[in-house]
Amino acid sequence: MTIEEGAKFVASAYAVILAVLVIYYFMSARRVSALERDVQLLEDEANRRQGPAGGAGAG
Amino acid sequence: MKKLVIAPALFAEAGICLIAGLLLGFWLAPVDASSMGYSQKIFYYHAPIAETALVAFGVSFVAAIAYLRSGDLKWDRLSYVSVRLGLLFSILVMLTGMIWGKAAWGTWWDWEPRLTTFLLVCFLYAAYWVLRSVVDEEQRRATYAAVFAIIAFIDVPVTFFATRFLPAGMHPTVITTGGTGMPGSMFVSFFISMVGMTLLLAALTRRDLAIEKLKDRVADLKTTIGG
Repeated sequence: MTIEEGAKFVASAYAVILAVLVIYYFMSARRVSALERDVQLLEDEANRRQGPAGGAGAG
Repeated sequence: MKKLVIAPALFAEAGICLIAGLLLGFWLAPVDASSMGYSQKIFYYHAPIAETALVAFGVSFVAAIAYLRSGDLKWDRLSYVSVRLGLLFSILVMLTGMIWGKAAWGTWWDWEPRLTTFLLVCFLYAAYWVLRSVVDEEQRRATYAAVFAIIAFIDVPVTFFATRFLPAGMHPTVITTGGTGMPGSMFVSFFISMVGMTLLLAALTRRDLAIEKLKDRVADLKTTIGG
């Protein structure tokens, strides 16, 4: 096998590695962002519901 | 809410090592003189990815034992995340191995000991995934998964030693008790890539653990609001 022929296989292998790792990295980054947003929304909702009750208790 | 910045230094260190290992592998290490020729350059990531996959399954095994001893769900989360990353790295090993096999041996696949046992590892940990998805109750799911992770790990040392105890296969044994059988420049490239892949596994583990904690936080908040 010549270097040119071997290089095609080598390039394919490294391209697969790069593609899979980059896709996984960005998928998990998106997942973190989505979950952080959900946590923020749910915390706001929990605080909103506790607000009037806390206010009534204080008054 | 505090913004989560997850393991940026680990990702950076992993990236530096992986790029350095690759550059050294291509420019410093010689072209392999055997029948593999230039396709041997695949080795500088293929072998470290394989070792890292086995390390991830090892972490899962240890975490599973820790969970069964303590009942603390943080160990279940670590075991689960390690299996997921082990499978990710295993898929990469299989794909790059098939490409390398086609280049070096002229075939995409061969039912020889290393490849067969590695495929079995993939199937076993895929089954772990299925098992987790069919049990709803958290503690019971964690217990079943831990027991399964311990049993599945039995195949990991079998895979590692397959080429040593059953040398009839085509897959070469790189590191033996007699040394690495590699020129120094090849070994340096391999070692730096190995460090890089291990750091990448650590970084991804930290990030995935953060994701699992966020999922738990969302579930807790939903319960609080719903209640």
